[in-house]
Amino acid sequence: MSNIFSKRTLNWGLAAAVSGLLLASGCASTSTPEQRDQVAETNDPLEPMNRYFFDLNLFFQEFALKPAAAWYSMSLPQPAQNGVHKFLQNMKQPWTMVNDALQGNFDRAGESGARFLINSTLGVGGIFDVATDWGFPEHNEDFGQTLAVWGLGDGPYLMLPFIGPSNLRDTAALPFDWYLDPVNIAVTNYVPIPDHSHPRQPPHHEEYTWFPTARGFVGSVDEQARNGDAIEQLKKQSMDFYATVRSIYRQRRDAQIHNRGEGENGPSGPVSSTPTDVPPEADELHGPHTETSQAKPE
Amino acid sequence: MLSRSLAATAAVLLSVAAITVPAPAAEPAAGPQLAQARAALPEAGEFIAHLAADAIAGMSDKTMSLEERTRRFRTLLTADFDVPEIARFVLGRYWRVATPDERSEYTKLFEDYIVSIYAARFQEYDGEQLKVNAAVKDDDGAFVSSSIERKAGPPVKVDWKLKSQAPNFKIVDVMVEGVSMSVTQRDDFAAAIQAHGGKVAGLIDMLKQKVQTASSK
Repeated sequence: MSNIFSKRTLNWGLAAAVSGLLLASGCASTSTPEQRDQVAETNDPLEPMNRYFFDLNLFFQEFALKPAAAWYSMSLPQPAQNGVHKFLQNMKQPWTMVNDALQGNFDRAGESGARFLINSTLGVGGIFDVATDWGFPEHNEDFGQTLAVWGLGDGPYLMLPFIGPSNLRDTAALPFDWYLDPVNIAVTNYVPIPDHSHPRQPPHHEEYTWFPTARGFVGSVDEQARNGDAIEQLKKQSMDFYATVRSIYRQRRDAQIHNRGEGENGPSGPVSSTPTDVPPEADELHGPHTETSQAKPE
Repeated sequence: MLSRSLAATAAVLLSVAAITVPAPAAEPAAGPQLAQARAALPEAGEFIAHLAADAIAGMSDKTMSLEERTRRFRTLLTADFDVPEIARFVLGRYWRVATPDERSEYTKLFEDYIVSIYAARFQEYDGEQLKVNAAVKDDDGAFVSSSIERKAGPPVKVDWKLKSQAPNFKIVDVMVEGVSMSVTQRDDFAAAIQAHGGKVAGLIDMLKQKVQTASSK
């Protein structure tokens, strides 16, 4: 049984979340029109539960992630940390390539494939990013973005315990990102075990089933080490940190889905409908609107 | 094992799809407009490049006192950013319900708040450089995309939304990796007002507190 960490828990968690949403829909009632607008805009019917998990995650961040990141930052010099980051990023490239293809974007799939080949070899297993200098800039895709490109809406906002901000669509996509990631599949199924010496048979061994979890945790530590100060600053300046994180997640996902705001060589360019195109008056007249979608002057 | 989990996720996905599909689907708006070629506007790019150069030259000196740095940042902010318009956008729909007194007090406090957040951060300047990648004409001004090159880690993508205003431009929004600072601030403030029963006065009190704690340090 090659049961990877918390497979059942994850699926049951999803089922619970879905049924919870069904129950919770239609019980949002507020007073002023401004407040009703806001409820429609934030699309966060499970806010009390989400805030609870948010606090839990902050606690986890404070007492597990921060110490781990502090230790990590102290024990590794900056160039080595950059190497770890690039190594982690490189492992995302095959799944990015699959998602590029699923989204019908074969140019970008080619870029991701080229990146993975170049950096895994010349970049010494991915710790150096040679590919960017060769004209293959980095980008990331996941299955949540693919579903969005296929036309699936965000669904309600969700704060997942230990995982962080999400929404219904991206939560549903998580198992795909976890089980179909080519690197996860390759390591858990095909990496030969030294003492068994049956490298050609895909054995049902469990020796490497910890790999996706470990990869996820190292990724969290890396992220904390690199962005910890920025997060701290954001927390300090926010009136409502939960709402700030929710806003950033929504905007960031929207940018990722439309491949905006990527590295300097990415297809950035003008977004004609940025929110400030709408003068505040128009904002008042039209009430709630999603940030980038309908901000067209009439 | 894999196929079983696949079946389970597919089932979840289908039920999810049933709920979410009728909701607004991914917006088609951005696509064709992105592809549309827009006229280059090098002046806008120069405006941002100058702003970055001025900020680094004027505020990155580590020995500078916080008062001096704050003073210089405020000068730069009010000269190059359209602070009143940003303040108004950030208050969003609550601008309409605010009284004239609340509006003017809020606008003043908003500027103090921005100054208190960002002025001190120039002390942490560590050789970052801003590179302008493109500058194009926009409906009511210009859009400049740039990246900030750092020693640690990959460059950060920063986009600037400008409006034309004699003699050159005023910045109305800054987007970091696709995240608009104005929109983020607006959502943050909206939640704070919401928590105070829809009263703008509640936000004004919180702003006062934030500005005070920042200046008393």
